[in-house]
Amino acid sequence: MSEILEKLFECVEFGKINAASPYPPQLRGQDGASEYTQKALAEGFSPAEIMDTALIPAMTKVGQKFSENKIFVPQMLLSAKAMNAALVYIKPYFSSGEIRRKGTFIMGTVNGDLHDIGKNLVCMMVEGAGWDVIDLGVDVGPEKFVESVRQHPDAYVGLSALLTTTMPNMKTIIDAVRAVSPSTRFIVGGAPVSADFAASIGADAYADNPQQDVEALDRFLQERA
Amino acid sequence: MRTHRVAAVPIMTHPGIELIGKTVRDAVTDGQVHFQAVKKLSEVYPSAACTTIMDLTVEAEAFGAPVNMPENEIPTVYGRLVGDADGVASLQVPDLTAGRVPQYLLANRLCAQAITDRPVFGGCIGPFSLAGRLYDMSEIMMAIYIEPDTISLLLDKCTRFIMQYCQAIKEAGSAGVVMAEPAAGLLSDEDSVLFSTKYVKRVVEAVQDDSFTVILHNCGNTGHCTRSMVESGARALHFGNRADMPRIIAEVPDYVVVMGNIDPVGVFKQADSQEVGLRTSELLRQMSGHSNFVVSSGCDLPPLVPESNIKAFFQAVDEFNEQV
Ligand code: B12
Repeated sequence: MSEILEKLFECVEFGKINAASPYPPQLRGQDGASEYTQKALAEGFSPAEIMDTALIPAMTKVGQKFSENKIFVPQMLLSAKAMNAALVYIKPYFSSGEIRRKGTFIMGTVNGDLHDIGKNLVCMMVEGAGWDVIDLGVDVGPEKFVESVRQHPDAYVGLSALLTTTMPNMKTIIDAVRAVSPSTRFIVGGAPVSADFAASIGADAYADNPQQDVEALDRFLQERA
Repeated sequence: MRTHRVAAVPIMTHPGIELIGKTVRDAVTDGQVHFQAVKKLSEVYPSAACTTIMDLTVEAEAFGAPVNMPENEIPTVYGRLVGDADGVASLQVPDLTAGRVPQYLLANRLCAQAITDRPVFGGCIGPFSLAGRLYDMSEIMMAIYIEPDTISLLLDKCTRFIMQYCQAIKEAGSAGVVMAEPAAGLLSDEDSVLFSTKYVKRVVEAVQDDSFTVILHNCGNTGHCTRSMVESGARALHFGNRADMPRIIAEVPDYVVVMGNIDPVGVFKQADSQEVGLRTSELLRQMSGHSNFVVSSGCDLPPLVPESNIKAFFQAVDEFNEQV
């Protein structure tokens, strides 16, 4: 890998957003993901190459470290933020078609539930893995999901619930969306959710961390192809 | 042969609110109703201590955060009150007349006067969890590193308020306070020391003495940040159901009380009474070598826990203690 992409990988892995950010201490005063992405583009690296050799693998590594308890929520969110700082410069190429996105992922925390840290992590990881992400926020009821699926008929949908009392709302949402779009596929997650519960409400997949979520989405894609 | 009896203190008020036929909204807005619920519980169940409502919105509301109060669910904060350095700088530390604080203090006072056969503990939120509710929980997780000055000012303001509030809970006659600091459990042990313990400790040092105990509750700790909880100086630590209690207690000095951790939802609310009994007995057996253990729920019992399950919990404790 070229030095500049290696630097960018390092920035995302350790959450160095831009030159001004004081985090992490060992990279203080140096350029961050924002600057290295601009430099890489200026030096002629293609947006696809930047995504595939630096950004996506770095986020994959971060996801792994998180699932092994080597890093915690703040470190993971900072990596995702660094990734987003890089994407600012890559995104214009998405719409021009120069980079193919894998598809669209709609995500929200279900109605009655305000826990959003897990949802945010999942959104950031999925975006980092090459998907367009539509984050509907917290306390999201069936109507909003239905509306969003109407606008993005090919999208996959992710639902997050952290409360045992809000888990049943996942089923209501799945049923409401399937009533208008029978083929929409759902991935569900959140601490109290299990694979058995997911199957019982008709979800297509359950994942207990963002890494598995990305894997499930990739599996859906292969099945569709 | 066992040498000591184990005290049982489940964290609960919703069963009391239900027993007196009131709604959650009544109890969280009216100190009289709140008191009657706690009093009723003290008459019905042999808890070694009572607790007031674990309401993690009172302090944020006092600062000005908007709160939703459904009739029969726990209130919630929505939206974001402060989002940048200026917002934090101009944030006023409220006084004890703000929001529902007077009603909570009234409940503490009435409980302390009327419940004399056992200690009553008030409740409050921890500084990092409060700061997260004001600043947005995901945002504060990043801001501790990229906006350290802003967050340290915010934590300082939160701590000053919590300190005043705990002082008033003490003056109301309560025997202590259960401080809920779940969000600190999302940090590494080192970060938890820097962004939570440091501030919790200030409160502990200001209010804890022979007559007043701080019980630090962190249900986000899965076993990775116990040291940070110990360092707070709180005389009792309370753990959630994701903690492995035998492992946890090995990390806590024996002069600190360790409390936990029967799952409030998965077991208390959803299992049958036989299962509640079995789980409680099993935990008591695992912890039987430790005289600093107090059996409890892993967190506040939610609304609509069956009475038979609470009875099964106390019965298991009784049976265990009969062998002493
Ligand atoms: C932080 C926290 C809070 C914060 C939330 C801040 C926020 N903006 O999110 C505050 C303090 C506000 C809060 C409030 C409450 N909380 Co809370 N909270 C927690 C805590 C400590 C951590 C949750 C968390 O963020 N974890 C970190 C993230 C990264 O993990 P995660 O969400 O599980 O997500 C991961 C996976 O599950 C997965 N994932 C998540 N969603 C999805 C979706 C998809 C599609 C996929 C693929 C994967 C996936 O990926 C993530 C990364 O690996 C947990 C305890 C715990 N240890 O879980 C309690 C907990 C979830 N809370 C609980 C309760 C009861 C409440 C309250 C009702 C408390 C009260 N008395 O007021 C309120 C409810 C408010 C509401 N209506 O939502 C209970 C729930 C019990 C239950 N089973 O019902 C828990 C388990 C605590 C306990 N032991 O009792 N809480």
